[in-house]
Parts: sequence; structure tokens; C-alpha cells
Amino acid sequence: MECEFRSRLVKTPFSHLRGTNSFNHALHPNQLQSNPLTPPRKQSVAAVLLTLSSLASLAQTPAQPQAPPSTPSQAAPSQAAPIAPRPTRTLILIDPAHGGPDTGAHLPNDVLEKDITLAFNSRLRALLSTNNFAVISTRTSDPSAAFTTDQRAEIANHDRPAACLILHATSSGSGIHLFTSRLTPPEHPTHILQWNTAQAAFTPASRSLANQIGLALLDAKLPVILGQATVPPLDNLTCPAIAIELAPLASTTPVTNANYQQRAAQAIVTALINWRAENAAEGAAQ
Amino acid sequence: MIPRYQRILFWSLVGGIFLMGAFLIHGCRQAHKRLTALNDATPIAAPTTTSTQDVTLYLANDADGSIAPTQEELALPQDPTLRARALLEHLLAEYAGPASTHVLKSGPAVDDVFFLPLPITAPAPTNTLSATTGLPQQSKAAPAHAAKSTGEVAVVNLHGSFVENHPSGIEVENLTLLSIIGTLHANFPQLTEVRFLVDGQAHDTLSGHADLKHAYPAVDTTTTPTPPQPEAAPNPQETTQP
Repeated sequence: MECEFRSRLVKTPFSHLRGTNSFNHALHPNQLQSNPLTPPRKQSVAAVLLTLSSLASLAQTPAQPQAPPSTPSQAAPSQAAPIAPRPTRTLILIDPAHGGPDTGAHLPNDVLEKDITLAFNSRLRALLSTNNFAVISTRTSDPSAAFTTDQRAEIANHDRPAACLILHATSSGSGIHLFTSRLTPPEHPTHILQWNTAQAAFTPASRSLANQIGLALLDAKLPVILGQATVPPLDNLTCPAIAIELAPLASTTPVTNANYQQRAAQAIVTALINWRAENAAEGAAQ
Repeated sequence: MIPRYQRILFWSLVGGIFLMGAFLIHGCRQAHKRLTALNDATPIAAPTTTSTQDVTLYLANDADGSIAPTQEELALPQDPTLRARALLEHLLAEYAGPASTHVLKSGPAVDDVFFLPLPITAPAPTNTLSATTGLPQQSKAAPAHAAKSTGEVAVVNLHGSFVENHPSGIEVENLTLLSIIGTLHANFPQLTEVRFLVDGQAHDTLSGHADLKHAYPAVDTTTTPTPPQPEAAPNPQETTQP
């Protein structure tokens, strides 16, 4: 097995293909901390970036349905009214697997897996955006030449999302299959990550998130199987990552069923909302 | 009145027709036997003189994503590699049955199985001189495995048609690999790793999902499905970690 090392901060030319927030990565606090700058320059750059960050957060905030001000006091400047806590925006990367000449599985009725993953991606994107998540997809159409799994991992690692969801579909089995990496966490974590085992440090978080999504799917009356597998690019991701595979529901509901997909997407988003709230609470406690 | 010579000619022709028909039928039967012999997918002749023995097969179930060991009696060759190949052919033939819980198409599945001792060392450096420096060239190839690797690695060379006809999906592909690995581990305890080739070449995935470039540890792959646990630590499905 070749041991291939790659930088975690590889610059990739894929930023123009991302979904909603092409400049999120530039404002990530981890990346701010990783710049080895001298103190005066660091302060000035930090000030500029903080200004840009505030402008970016204003620009990224989706239009929330708000009641019109009924009294003049509600329409007063914000200094007078208490500022309501806004939910933390969390970046989610969705990878609709396959695409282009890679059709994936051939499902019944001449349906291709790449089309199912793309449709499910659209449902997840809409629901996540509605719930104040920032979303990046590795593809939003069916390009003639899709990214390789290594390129998808590079996109994900470059943008440092809070969670990565890899979408698949199959005609085998039943229900929804949630897979995490088979890697075991390293005994002595290091800053240098090996490409083939980059996910190892994130497997506890990945399995915890998979368990949470599984519970939400069970609450939605959808059968779930939790498992571990070696599926590219799962092992190359430096974020909590799950491969979600849609299978027919009890041999009567195919994966093409819109209602089935919507229920699954809604349950996944519900789990992610809870997961974000728990992470925020843990962060506040610390 | 038909002349005699015409009657003789007529019956001679009728006889010739029957003779040619018989020859044609005989030729067709011979050709059919020859073609059938070419298409015989049986990899190894059954060892009729060898007594049967208990073997453990790890059978997969797509419905719940489980893998369970079962005992069977088989007559197998004595040579380890032939034995492993016959065992895997029997395992994968089980999945082609009508009552299979992990449906795979029938046909040849395993071309070869090789056992290699670990650690695999690099070839000895040759005493050639460098064209640029004039100094003896030194091999930069490191051993493929660390010195701590012991035991044997099984290289399973899958048939291309088996990979092409395999159902596509993470779960179904993963179960096939775990079934093969668990069966090899149970019957060849000296194995520590299992690698896969397709038609003698490295292959990215089994059928678009499960990684085939990865070396899998040869361990017990018994899988018991467990539902998500509320307020629980990560609870992997597999009881063991390959």
C-alpha cells in the first residue's frame, strides 16, 4: 500500500464550483490561527479579516421570514432592542457520489445512482439552507467529467466543513445505510496527516454523528443499518464524515420515491440541528 | 414404368441423404461436447478420493447487514492455495442459489489465491553503476511492510466477470469482502492480511464503492447488526474491527 502524503492546505481550483459560500474558507478561525505571521502584520490582517467576516456574515444570512414591525418601538434601531441569539451557521459538505461517465449503480427502471444522489443532494441542500446551515456540494449538476474521489476529498479538506455527507444509492438491502470509516483513532495524534488515514482522528466524531442521524431516522420510522466500510473518499476526509446510502424501503418503495427521500432528508437535517446545538452547548461550557 | 436404373439411382440418393444426415448429427454432437467442455466453469475437479472436512463459511445477509459463520462439510484439495480457491468458489457459489440472502450472479469468481509470507522485502539491489554519477546505484525501495508485519498475506485474484456482474452498493460490496475475509481467516489462521486483484491487476473498487486497493486485516468479520443507541458512545456495527 503506497503511503501518499498530501498537504491539508492544498490550494485547489475548485472554489468557483462550490455552492453557497465561496469565501467561507478564507474566514475560518482555524486558518487564521495557522498563519505564521509576525505580530504587527498579524494584527492588521486579523483586523481586515474580522471586518470582512462581519460583512460576510451579513451577506450570508438568509432572508428569514420576520413579522413586520407593529409598533414604532419594534422598528427602532437595534441598540434599543435586545439582540436575539442567532443560531451558529455550520458548514456542511455534501458529496453526491458518482457523476459524469461514472454512473454508479444501475437501479431498476433504468435509473442511475448518480441521478438519485443528485436529487437527494438538492433536497438536503434546501432543507439545510432553510435551517441556517451553510452548504457546499461537490456537484450540483451532472458534469461531463466529474471529480475523482481524491479531488472531492481535497475540496472537502480545503473548506474544513463541520461535517461531510457522502450520498449513495443502491437497490440492495433495505432502508438507509450509514457508514463510517473503518479506521481506528491514532494512539498518538500528530499534525501531519497521512492521506490514506486522514479520517482516523475523526472517527469517534463521525460515529457519534452517524449514531445521532440513525436515531433521527428511526424516529422518522425509517429502518437504519449502521456500519463501517472502506469507501473512497471516506478515509481521506478531515472532518466528521458519513456515507449515507439509500436503499429501497421494504421492497415496495424505491429509492426514487420523492416522499421517501424527503422523509430521509428531513430526519438527517433534524439530527444535524441537534448535533449543532450540542456542539454549541459544549463549546459554551468549555 | 420407371426404368430400373432410375430406381437404383433414386434409392442410392435416398441412402446418401440418410448417411449425410447421420454424419451431420454426429458432427453436431461432437461440436456440442467440445463447446460444453470449453464453457465448463468448474474450477477444480472434485477430489473424490479426499475425505470431507468441516469448514467455516462466513455468510452475508443483505437484509440486516449481518455476517454469520456456518459450518459445512467439504472435500477440498490439500494444497493451501488450491484449497483457498476452492473454498472461496464454494462460498461465492452459495450466494448464487435461489435461497441466498446475499444474491450474486453465478459464474467463475476467483481466478487464483496466492499466499505470501510477510514482511514482503524489496528485491536485492543490483550491482549496476549509475549513468550520471558512475557510482553503484542504491535501491531506494523500502520494504512494503514494516518489520513488525508477520504471518502471511493472501492475494485473492478475482475474475473480471465477477466484478462486472457484482451488485453495486456500499453495503452489498462490503459484505462480499467481509465474507471472503472472514472465511479465509477462519480456515487459514496464519493469514494476517488479505489483498484483492481483478484479472491480475490492481482495481480501485469492487463495483464502484468498496475499496480494493486497501489491504484488509484478516480477522473475524462476524457482524451483528445493532440499532443506533440513544445517548451512547459510538457503537460500531461490527463486533470486530478488520
